Amino acid sequence: MSASLLQRVARVIALIGLFAGSATAWADETCNSPYVTNLIKGQEDYAYVWTLGVEGLGDGSDKLVTIDVNPASLSYGKVLNSVSVGARGEAHHMGFSDDRRFLWAGGLDDSKIYVFDIGTDPGKPRLVKTIGDLPQQTGFVGPHTFYALPGRVLVGNLSNAQDHGGVTGLALYNNQGDLIQMYPMPTSNGGDGYGYDIAINPQKNVLLTSSFTGWNNYMRNLGELVGDAEAMKHFGNTVVLWDLKAMTPKKVFSVPGSPLEIRWSLNPGDNWAVIATALTSQIWLIKQDASGEWQAKDVAVIGDPSKIPLPVDISIAADGKGLWVNTFMDGKTRYFDLSNPEHPSQTYEKVTGKQVNMVSQSWDGKRVYITSSLLANWDKTGENDVQFLRGFDWDGNALTQTFEVDFYKEKLGRAHHIKLGSKALKAAYVEQPEQLSSRSR
Amino acid sequence: MWSNPSNCRRARADSAGTRARLLPAALALLISSGGALSHEVSSAKADFVPPAPGTYRLERIQAVPDGEVVDTRNRSARLAKYTQGHITLLSLMYTSCADPSGCPMALYTLQKVRRDLEREKSTGSRVRIVSLSFDPKHDTPEVMRAYGAGEAQRHSPVPWVFLTARSPQDLRPVLDGLGQDVRVPADEAEAEKPANLTHMLKVFLIDRDGWVREIYTSNFLVPQVIVNDVQTLLLEDGVKLR
Repeated sequence: MSASLLQRVARVIALIGLFAGSATAWADETCNSPYVTNLIKGQEDYAYVWTLGVEGLGDGSDKLVTIDVNPASLSYGKVLNSVSVGARGEAHHMGFSDDRRFLWAGGLDDSKIYVFDIGTDPGKPRLVKTIGDLPQQTGFVGPHTFYALPGRVLVGNLSNAQDHGGVTGLALYNNQGDLIQMYPMPTSNGGDGYGYDIAINPQKNVLLTSSFTGWNNYMRNLGELVGDAEAMKHFGNTVVLWDLKAMTPKKVFSVPGSPLEIRWSLNPGDNWAVIATALTSQIWLIKQDASGEWQAKDVAVIGDPSKIPLPVDISIAADGKGLWVNTFMDGKTRYFDLSNPEHPSQTYEKVTGKQVNMVSQSWDGKRVYITSSLLANWDKTGENDVQFLRGFDWDGNALTQTFEVDFYKEKLGRAHHIKLGSKALKAAYVEQPEQLSSRSR
Repeated sequence: MWSNPSNCRRARADSAGTRARLLPAALALLISSGGALSHEVSSAKADFVPPAPGTYRLERIQAVPDGEVVDTRNRSARLAKYTQGHITLLSLMYTSCADPSGCPMALYTLQKVRRDLEREKSTGSRVRIVSLSFDPKHDTPEVMRAYGAGEAQRHSPVPWVFLTARSPQDLRPVLDGLGQDVRVPADEAEAEKPANLTHMLKVFLIDRDGWVREIYTSNFLVPQVIVNDVQTLLLEDGVKLR
């Protein structure tokens, strides 16, 4: 080959490499598994909302609701599609498969796992598989977190089929929905066996898990629960650091007060994650010390912990410099400056609803989405039981609401987890998933 | 902290003519020879010491689906011929992918893995590498032969086979079964000009029985991790590592 051709090819490669690099900047919320691909480029088109059914409202079933969130669209802020699963099982969280063609969603009460095809037509998700035997196959109950690994989905559960308490484990499925392996949460060396969120740092070969509570508590009326001192003892107080490759627990941190959502900083070179505790209203930092040993410490309080504002979801900025925190009881969305993760400081707050739960942001941080439902039996009642997806613009100083979908007015149910979608993610080359569909149980 | 998974895109050529056919071979040559691309292509970086072979278990993720493939001498065969009986590293790729964190990264990494395995004499003839194109329209047996010549023809106890297919339809069971997404912009799907192919980089570690035991995306494509995984499977097979 001539030198001139080599040089020409090298120039083409360099140019395309630059283009490809810029095109893959994440524009989606920052909490996805690092193994999720097919990243949204720029403005998201859809918000998928996993919605709890309410008896007597619409068909009363849990459903995946698709909402147009592109301001340039004529149907901006409108419901585009709704896929009912035909059952009410305490819809809660969702997660993409690694190729982002499928969205896995779980029910905390009936322990069913639903797989929606969002690759064929991202604006019209389709239910293609239901896994209904999680308790029978694993002994676990309450599939909560769906976290993509290459070709697999790691499911973090909340409870167990034996006593419906908080001791549980992780279940690993392949993308076809076949169970591969189970990993019990550790109950020795300080482990309480409880589970909740999953967060992976591939470069460190580290997986973190947090801990909530079992079916006996999360399906109980919140008012009754907090008045039951014995029941309130049964919340998780640990974060576990796992060897990702070996899938074995390496260290158990004592993190009192039910540590929930975990977010690694995505800033290159950072080696820390933050976690918010629900009952003690704190932000905890998991970070390597100077000797490389992982340590955990509380670094900030959220609101007035004595009033139990109940921090629920958090969303970290793409550069690791800021953190949104939703507190359910006071309906506030708070922003913390994370420039120094050892000392987060709150710089902004706004009441965004009478009750707020999930918060997601676009990769550029300019758009923030908030929903309202925590759990069917924990949501507020009467006039305080408002159910919505609200969109906001964030200019660095204030949140400005841009749209609202009233989930009661639309007869949909209780709005819970949010995932973002794009028209550009339509699969065009690979045949549709008939093989997966035909194996539905 | 971590890199984005790869979305490969094809290096555009002016036509489907001579330069387009030369481009894949030029890309492979640039990567393997340490040429102009070598400063851009590297393996994934791990900030940890990979666990030693045999100290962990690789789960049986899924069976490898079968399909009709074609070798560089235009001979048809079932894919199972290349995914059973040996420990196999199967790379799904296309030759004109030019994303440094895409197919060139897989090629570069597998070259390093091959060299490392060659030094482990107990590997013997138990391990092979297979590169299978998912762009059969442009990656003909002739193109694959030119692309893989440097590795396929080199004498090694770790053979490297380059495969393509007669049509996208022949590949669909394999791609769907392995969860290998490939996306083509609709307006370019039927065009004669080279298309942009967007896909997630995946390399599959397959055991002797044809089960996928690990899947490496751009975050996981660390040569020492792959070598240790291969050796973990060798230990399972009763091979004594030296």
